[in-house]
Amino acid sequence: MGRELDEEMGGFLEMAAQEKMSQGMSRKAALREVRLERGSLEIAKEVVSAATWESVLETCWQDLRIGCRTLCKSPSFTVVVVLTLALGIGATTAIFTLIDAVMLKSLPVANPRQLYRLGDNNNCCVMVGTQNGGSFVLYSYPLYEHLRDHTPEFTELVAFGSHLSDLSVRRHGDSAAVEPYKGEFVSGNYFDMFGIGAFAGRTLTEKDDRSGALPVAVMSYHTWQTRFGGDPSVIGAAFTINTVAYTAVGVAPPRFYGDTLRSDPPDFWLPLATNPDRWLFSPEPEWLYLMGRLRPDAASEQVQARLTVELQDWLGSHREVIPERDWKDIARQHIRLTPGGRGVEQMQTNYAIGLHLLVTLSALLLLIACANIANLLLARGSANRSQTAVRLALGASRSRLVRQMLTESVLLALVGGAAGLYVAYVGTHAILLLAFRGAHHIPIEARPSVAVLGFALLLSLATGIVFGIARAWMSSQSYPADALRGAGRSTGDRSSVAQKSLVIVQVAFSIVLLIGAGLVTQSLRNLERQNFGFVTEGRLIVNIAPSLAGYTPDKLDGLYQRLEDTLPQIPSVLNASLSWYSPLGGNNANERVYIQGKPPDYGWTAPSWDRVGPHYFETIGTRLLRGRVIDEHDTPAARHVAVINKTFAHRLFPNHDDPIGQHFGMGDASHSGDYEIVGIVEDAKYQDTRGPAYATFFLPLLQAPPGEPVRGWVGAIELHVAGKPENIESAVRKTLADVDPNLSVLDMVSFGEQVARNFNQERLIARLAELFGVLALVLACVGLYGVTAYAVARRTNEIGIRMALGADRRNILGLVLRSALVQLGAGLAIGIPIALAGGRLLASQLYSVKSYDPLILGLAAVILAACALSAASVPAQHATKVDPLIALRYE
Amino acid sequence: MAEKPSDIVQGTLDMLILKTLALEPMHGYGITVRLEQMSKGTFRVNAGSLFVALQRLQRAGLIRSEWKATENSRRAKYYILTQQGRKRLDSETREWGRQVAAIARILEAS
Repeated sequence: MGRELDEEMGGFLEMAAQEKMSQGMSRKAALREVRLERGSLEIAKEVVSAATWESVLETCWQDLRIGCRTLCKSPSFTVVVVLTLALGIGATTAIFTLIDAVMLKSLPVANPRQLYRLGDNNNCCVMVGTQNGGSFVLYSYPLYEHLRDHTPEFTELVAFGSHLSDLSVRRHGDSAAVEPYKGEFVSGNYFDMFGIGAFAGRTLTEKDDRSGALPVAVMSYHTWQTRFGGDPSVIGAAFTINTVAYTAVGVAPPRFYGDTLRSDPPDFWLPLATNPDRWLFSPEPEWLYLMGRLRPDAASEQVQARLTVELQDWLGSHREVIPERDWKDIARQHIRLTPGGRGVEQMQTNYAIGLHLLVTLSALLLLIACANIANLLLARGSANRSQTAVRLALGASRSRLVRQMLTESVLLALVGGAAGLYVAYVGTHAILLLAFRGAHHIPIEARPSVAVLGFALLLSLATGIVFGIARAWMSSQSYPADALRGAGRSTGDRSSVAQKSLVIVQVAFSIVLLIGAGLVTQSLRNLERQNFGFVTEGRLIVNIAPSLAGYTPDKLDGLYQRLEDTLPQIPSVLNASLSWYSPLGGNNANERVYIQGKPPDYGWTAPSWDRVGPHYFETIGTRLLRGRVIDEHDTPAARHVAVINKTFAHRLFPNHDDPIGQHFGMGDASHSGDYEIVGIVEDAKYQDTRGPAYATFFLPLLQAPPGEPVRGWVGAIELHVAGKPENIESAVRKTLADVDPNLSVLDMVSFGEQVARNFNQERLIARLAELFGVLALVLACVGLYGVTAYAVARRTNEIGIRMALGADRRNILGLVLRSALVQLGAGLAIGIPIALAGGRLLASQLYSVKSYDPLILGLAAVILAACALSAASVPAQHATKVDPLIALRYE
Repeated sequence: MAEKPSDIVQGTLDMLILKTLALEPMHGYGITVRLEQMSKGTFRVNAGSLFVALQRLQRAGLIRSEWKATENSRRAKYYILTQQGRKRLDSETREWGRQVAAIARILEAS
């Protein structure tokens, strides 16, 4: 099309010229004459091609080429804009990806909207009697059967353990040591309810969940791939799981992670009936979560009311399993039916506040990035004003110029957006690693979904169009004659006001981000460096599960003895001890106590308790305050003793009566003489890192009341090591394998790491806030630098005149920096009150930091001011080196 | 001194091109020269306007084009009046006549 037109017009020109030449004109003169008479053929071509629809595409292509060319001609501008956009869009998209994956995505199952959960909280793990606040969430097995059989509104009602179980697994014929896995006990209709078929083999059925059925298990796809290499012979193979023979009958579909989004989801799903702990099937223990698929025609409110009636019926007829003190609460017990499409919303609840905070932070960063880009484009627009004027004077149409600028901006934005997607992809990975430190497998896809991609694209397009229009508007204000005359040399104009306001906005948002980052960082430092009541340096924690290796209470004595004998023999081990659980390892048990000679007190939370071996307190570095600690002499045959912590002493013996020598017990008042208090240790935090330590008592490993089995088996080994604790890991594994090859090591981490994993969310927020804060700082500095440099360039003329009239370096420096200082001051004046207001919202997340901490506020302001001023002083220094003679000639 | 040639009366270029082509197929420059000759130098045709008009007429199906050799044996695009174009020329000529007569009556009235 274009070429044909070219040829036709060329012919036209040629014929016209020929005619003139035949009248005796020179060729050159003839061509000139034709152009004068017929108008410029170039413009004619432009006009003709503009009249065709193909031309729209063609000029777009042209604009695109021009855009690419101009962008390549000013690489630093392009790189800064693309980087700024990439960081802004990348950070926002990464956070949005996480929100999408964690908060919004449904379980990958059939019709997740039909799923409902019976209960509205995430209480765990085993309870007896009535439940907190009356809202039922944990159910006993007989209660599950009752609800399942009496609620026809559910096509299926399933039950599953409220927490995952540690499994020790060995494939039949494998001679290697058993390996730790995670398992979940589920009712037989579990997969049917989710509408999930097997990827290979079959899923569980109701027949598998009957007592006496052959034990079978379904493996997760991820486990099948990563631990068994996708070996098809796994299906139908025999496994020993916790010493019981199971058959692996199938593999679940690739994306299925069970009923709860969590790190390290189950490797195996096992039928409830195969749980060896028969006590769990009696009416007392409440340990199951229930979830059901509602019939399409059932109304959830009516079903909820019906379930509450059924619950009341059952509780009323089973008063014997409810402790007498809870009877008065039976009438208040009810069931809340909550949407279960996202499964048990554990992670959703835990991360809601953190993710929302991050959204706010990344939105702030995006705003700062946008302000920065606006600023750069404004500066560029002004710088190009004379160029635009020349184009207009040469006859370019305004609409074409506007379109070209828009094309350039959108091009920039799209390139920035694409780079942003890359940043988002990498960023999401990094965030997941930060958020789930210590996890082996996170069932969250780091890949941005289609919705997220659309969001990023829309964001970058909007940015491009908005800034393109802003620039076009500015250039349409330019009158060629004015611009060419040099009217732009004046000291102030509208665009510089806009630029300065943008810098003020940037400074304001940056100080908000910096103060926020300072607060959460300080809070994390306070959390990590608080006095926990134990020492983490040089300590190694090894988690084991003797029950999974087939140990029964009567065999524990020998195992403990062997461990206590062999562990201290490992080179560089200073001290070794055993305990039921270790501090901040995620476990905690509590139980009501009855003090001899005192009425029972239900007024406050039951104290926590732990079983510990000899040297325990020395090994973890908890100080003894009075009396003695538990030692080798506290055997089952010896006098039964207990060590309590300071809070326990204060709570239960408030009247300064000496706790040492007093007796208490668990269960009921008849046990109040079971244990004699022999020592008091300092408070240590075992579960909650923010609140005060719980009242806690410690019992020897094997001392149980007469005639009762020992509750609370060793789950943790603590080692105090000379040097780095990680160095002896292989020696520990070898020693444990020598003691018993069936004893699997569930986990082995340094004590410091175990504590650090408690702060994953705080760390994630702090690190991201710091990153965002630094980026904001850099962007604000770039902004201030840009505006100042631009001002200096525009005022070179004026500066030259001033210097010619006798101004010295100091005057010029002051002249340039004064404006930067004003912008900085205004930004701080706006930003600090915003930060103070925002800090109040943040206050609940902070640990022993005031949201208005003056040190952090001051430090953030000083850092920002110092960086911004040094950025502004670079162009200011340039200004002082202006040679008046050159400056006066400068245009 | 002869009057300076002016641009063609607005809206009439299409009709004049059709009229020119009614005699024989012609290329762009030929049309220009013919129009100027026939108007005895009153009108001058701007190349931009001419080519836009040719595009327009072609798209409306009133003319079609083909590449042919000129008398000076160079290649040129010749425009040919279609059946539809001939009809349009008739109707426009009649309409133009009516309008000119009406304008003339108004101008002669006072």
